[in-house]
Amino acid sequence: MGMFDPLKGFGVTFATMFKKVVTEQYPEDFYPSAPRWHGRHQLNRHPDGLEKCVGCELCAWACPADAIFVEGADNTEEERYSPGERYGFDYQINYLRCIGCGLCIEACPTRSLTMVNFYELADDDRRKLIYTKEDLMAPLLPGMEEPPHPMRLGENEQDYYVQGPELARGRGVPEGETVETSKEEAIQ
Amino acid sequence: MTIAPENTETEVPEGHVKLVVDGEEVIAPEGELLIRTAERLGTVIPRFCDHPLLDPAGACRQCLVEVEMNGRPMPKPQASCTMTVADGMVVKTQKSSRVAEKAQEGVMELLLINHPLDCPICDKGGECPLQNQAMAHGRSTSRFVDTKRTFPKPISISTQVLLDRERCVLCQRCTRFSDQIAGDPFIDLLERGVHQQIGTAETADIHNSASHTSSGTPFQSYFSGNTIQICPVGALTSAAYRFRSRPFDLVSSPSVCEHCSSGCALRTDFRRGKVMRRLAGDDPDVNEEWSCDKGRFAFRYAAAKDRIRKPMVRDESGELVEASWTEALRRAADALVAARESNGAGVLTGGRLTVEDAYAYTKFARITLRSNDIDFRARPHSAEELDFLASSVVGTTPEHVSYASLEKASAVLCVAFEPEDESPIVFLRLRKAARDKGTKVFHIGQWTTSSVRKTFGELLACEPGGEAAAVDGIAEHAKDLDAALSSDDAVVLVGDRAAEVPGLFGAVTRLAERTGTRVAWVPRRAGERGALEAGAVPTLLPGGAPVSDASARATLETSWGLDSGTMPAEPGRDTAAMLAAAASGELDALVVGGVDPDDLPDPAAAREALANVGFVLSLEMRPSAVTEHADVVLPIAPVDEKTGTFLDWEGRVRPFSITLEGTGALPDCRVLDTLAVEMDADLFTQTAQAAWSDFSRSRVVSAHQGSNPDQHSRPAASTPDTPDGTVRLATWRQLIDNGSLQVEEPHLAGTARDAVLRMSAATAERHGVTRGERATISTERGALTLPVEFTDLPDDVVWAPARSPESIRSVLGAGHGASVALSGGAR
Amino acid sequence: MTQVPESTVFDADIHAKATEIIGRYPEARSALLPMLHLVQSVQGYVSQEGISFCAEKLDLTDAEVSAVATFYTMYKRKPCGEHLVSVCTNTLCAAMGGDAIYKKLQDHLGENGTPLGHEETAGTPGETGSITLEHAECLAACDLAPVLQVNYEYFDNQTEQSAVELVDALRKGERPQPTRGASLTDLKSVELQLAGFFPEDEQFATDVDGPSAAEETLRGAKLAQERGWVAPAMRDEETR
Repeated sequence: MGMFDPLKGFGVTFATMFKKVVTEQYPEDFYPSAPRWHGRHQLNRHPDGLEKCVGCELCAWACPADAIFVEGADNTEEERYSPGERYGFDYQINYLRCIGCGLCIEACPTRSLTMVNFYELADDDRRKLIYTKEDLMAPLLPGMEEPPHPMRLGENEQDYYVQGPELARGRGVPEGETVETSKEEAIQ
Repeated sequence: MTIAPENTETEVPEGHVKLVVDGEEVIAPEGELLIRTAERLGTVIPRFCDHPLLDPAGACRQCLVEVEMNGRPMPKPQASCTMTVADGMVVKTQKSSRVAEKAQEGVMELLLINHPLDCPICDKGGECPLQNQAMAHGRSTSRFVDTKRTFPKPISISTQVLLDRERCVLCQRCTRFSDQIAGDPFIDLLERGVHQQIGTAETADIHNSASHTSSGTPFQSYFSGNTIQICPVGALTSAAYRFRSRPFDLVSSPSVCEHCSSGCALRTDFRRGKVMRRLAGDDPDVNEEWSCDKGRFAFRYAAAKDRIRKPMVRDESGELVEASWTEALRRAADALVAARESNGAGVLTGGRLTVEDAYAYTKFARITLRSNDIDFRARPHSAEELDFLASSVVGTTPEHVSYASLEKASAVLCVAFEPEDESPIVFLRLRKAARDKGTKVFHIGQWTTSSVRKTFGELLACEPGGEAAAVDGIAEHAKDLDAALSSDDAVVLVGDRAAEVPGLFGAVTRLAERTGTRVAWVPRRAGERGALEAGAVPTLLPGGAPVSDASARATLETSWGLDSGTMPAEPGRDTAAMLAAAASGELDALVVGGVDPDDLPDPAAAREALANVGFVLSLEMRPSAVTEHADVVLPIAPVDEKTGTFLDWEGRVRPFSITLEGTGALPDCRVLDTLAVEMDADLFTQTAQAAWSDFSRSRVVSAHQGSNPDQHSRPAASTPDTPDGTVRLATWRQLIDNGSLQVEEPHLAGTARDAVLRMSAATAERHGVTRGERATISTERGALTLPVEFTDLPDDVVWAPARSPESIRSVLGAGHGASVALSGGAR
Repeated sequence: MTQVPESTVFDADIHAKATEIIGRYPEARSALLPMLHLVQSVQGYVSQEGISFCAEKLDLTDAEVSAVATFYTMYKRKPCGEHLVSVCTNTLCAAMGGDAIYKKLQDHLGENGTPLGHEETAGTPGETGSITLEHAECLAACDLAPVLQVNYEYFDNQTEQSAVELVDALRKGERPQPTRGASLTDLKSVELQLAGFFPEDEQFATDVDGPSAAEETLRGAKLAQERGWVAPAMRDEETR
């Protein structure tokens, strides 16, 4: 060991003082994640506010960690939550089990289930980490209406699915903003 | 030197043919369908319409194979589900023939053209033959780019069956089942071409000229649930199970139906501790692959909100309040010990118990209460019936009479037994026998019921109460039947309504002795046959030895570990006698397990007895008329939550194990065992397994099988005259009515048969009743008003359902064979 | 099976006729097709009452009868006019002008600019001059194409013009003579004939029994006869 070696060490410290700070001051400073980060799940809506989830349980079936529980139920003309016959009556994701793999997203046949960037999934109570439908539903954008309500867009199912987004703009849903990509602020 | 070629030719047995399937030589019985032959070789040819228990149809064309006969290939692929094997046939399935494979792919593509992409929301998704076979045998892509044909989404063809016509592949399994098996062709193929669809008279686009709307009969069949199960796509779905779960959530457990004595194997599917659905199990010896709608759909009683889950005791103010097991058992034990030491206590067990539970009641009565006052017959009964059960029923096994022997029989006589309502699987087997094997089915009853019609049967009509005379008159008035019954394989089936007809059991016994025909007893409830075997009757010990037989008692005392001479030697009282004794104070306490007073011969007297007797212990699942009067109520487990065994009408052992574990509900045998311990006795029935092994060890089969029913036989002479203005009542319970195990099943209740008052046109005219309007039958006790329907009943006889919706016994205080007044209009 | 209340639609005569039809067949079920025609001869169409009537008489269920009634196009499920006009729109007739005739009649009989649809009725069903229009599959008269039928009686070699004249006459309550066969009656009477009950009068007998083949139909046979043409023998016969 040379006699200047201890000073070399201080040299590193000294030099670092003039470099850019990489430490993130979480949680005081909140940095957005990368845009395609797999964070919390979200259950999306059709442009009129009806739920996209049909309660098919394919997400639950695909889940390797058995973190999802779904139970379907019957839409009626009086009480409609989603277009079509069936809707997700009960929807729960257990974030103590979820490994964030995203297989559920791939399984979803209606693109109802997607993942948003939100990553603060920690708590001091196990029960609070079982997210239910209320926690997971996408927020209502302007022009949307909280179900149950009838299908609002177009005269028939063909209109609803094909022309839906266009018709929705007439109701005040902002352009370019599909529900699945709604901004972080909206979620919070 | 020449070597003789080895003879490799395999011998073809008589009645068999030799053919080649996929290059493999195979010997098949004549008449076998190609699809089955291939199956035996392990080659599964895809199929939709083919079902082993239905006649071949060749409707879906999915099972095409290449066939060569006599060296000449058939010009087109052939449907292997309709073609039978022939000698020298060469068959190439999709395994060895590209032609067959391509044909199958083509048919699959065609079937999928109009099939919607509903799989994620379809109840069949995950267990769907179309889904599976499309994956296994379909093309990976579809060439169809046009718009699919659509129909409005599901229409209900009955309250419990929904039809989604878009999904249908027109295989006709449902229509063939309804027509061939159930005999209820209420659904059929409607329209033609691309519009062809399954439907009922109600869904057919045919207008009612009066109302200008579609009307007509819906799919009101007792067996409609089977069509849901055999539908190879999701076209027929259950209204009750709609969207409840997906197949991959469900845990399946084999079970046995608790509703009637048919003993059906079922499959119970549950999710998160809740039963979601029940399906028919596959048991070729018993229910084949079918079940009735009651067995399939009526299971929610166990999850009813008012289920009793904690013991209850009656407090000072006369209210039933929840209590701890310790307190409730203490109270019950004290009261029963006091009753035992005084006038005694009786046990009414009802007909719904497993063998183990019935056995525990038997032991409880004999050991703990030291009495033979126990009877399982919570329905009209007679001493004559008990004699008949002792002499002809107890101890019999399927070797005596079984489903198979019904199918083989040349003639079957049903006496006071309505198969479709009382034991639907017996009905299906009778229909199968009559339809396929030409069995002659005779019915001694009152009118041409659906059971008579659908078993292609012959009705020997008699007045209600006159069945005994009718049986005695067979030799004289029905020579053909008499001759038919004299053959070796003839069978007589007696229903439990026979207990209401004086002299009938005697007449049946005489008939059996004279013709040598076998007699089987088909009770209506699942637990009756087992309870009889377990000795839950006043005159018999477990196994069937009479109580009065000292040596049998001694044997039992030894195996039960009792002191010699402690078993009560006097035959006990039957249900009616116990209730009478309780009402008059000759009994101090009653132990009641699942009895509905409305089913008893005299419901009013039963209620009075329950109200008057000093102490009532009720073992129940849900509040009933008994719990109203009970001093202590102990909760017990429904079949889903316990292990046990039923004996079906054949005497076949039908064991089942627990479906829902860890609910904390205890079976009767366990509750009684604990109660007995409180009373310083050991029953050794802590678990069903323990009870069963104790029962198997302890049954005492007596050398002489009881006494002749004639001993108690009341005169079977002509039925007493009906007073002026009155008519004779014929009645029995319909399969779907307001029974206590059918609660919370609105979909099932919707397919119940209409409650109507049936009579002949002449009777109606005589009593001023008009067709299509309402009429009233009455006694001093009360009156019952129902719509009138004309039927081929004998004159001055009316028929009414026994519990649809009201209990005829409670309202009128009258049963089968009683005289009632008849008048037009409502009262 | 549910019991149908005593039918008021079908009188004693129809019940007797039904019994007669059933008597013609060894198996009751075989009588279903004429029975449905019989029902149609009363109401002009097959109603739910008619279905129940047949079901009860033949010991079938309503569903089984409905299956048959909905399969065949000759059983109408909506009230029909006095006359049924069927325009052949199968390949040959269509090419020869059948499609144009059908379109013309649709427009002509339609009201307020809405063309009359398939199996729709101009006028009030059942009243004199009311017409139900349908496009039919092959009427087996290609040599006389385009053809149309009124109550199943032929009107051959039609043009748009002649078809319009025909329906106008029918609308006025007239009954033009068909090209061949019996004279025109109304749909209900024809349905009764299809059920197997024929009018007693002599005129009808001569109409029906007389030659109904058109010259065009026999022209080929006649030519062959003149020139001595015969069909080639079957291959089996050749080898024999």
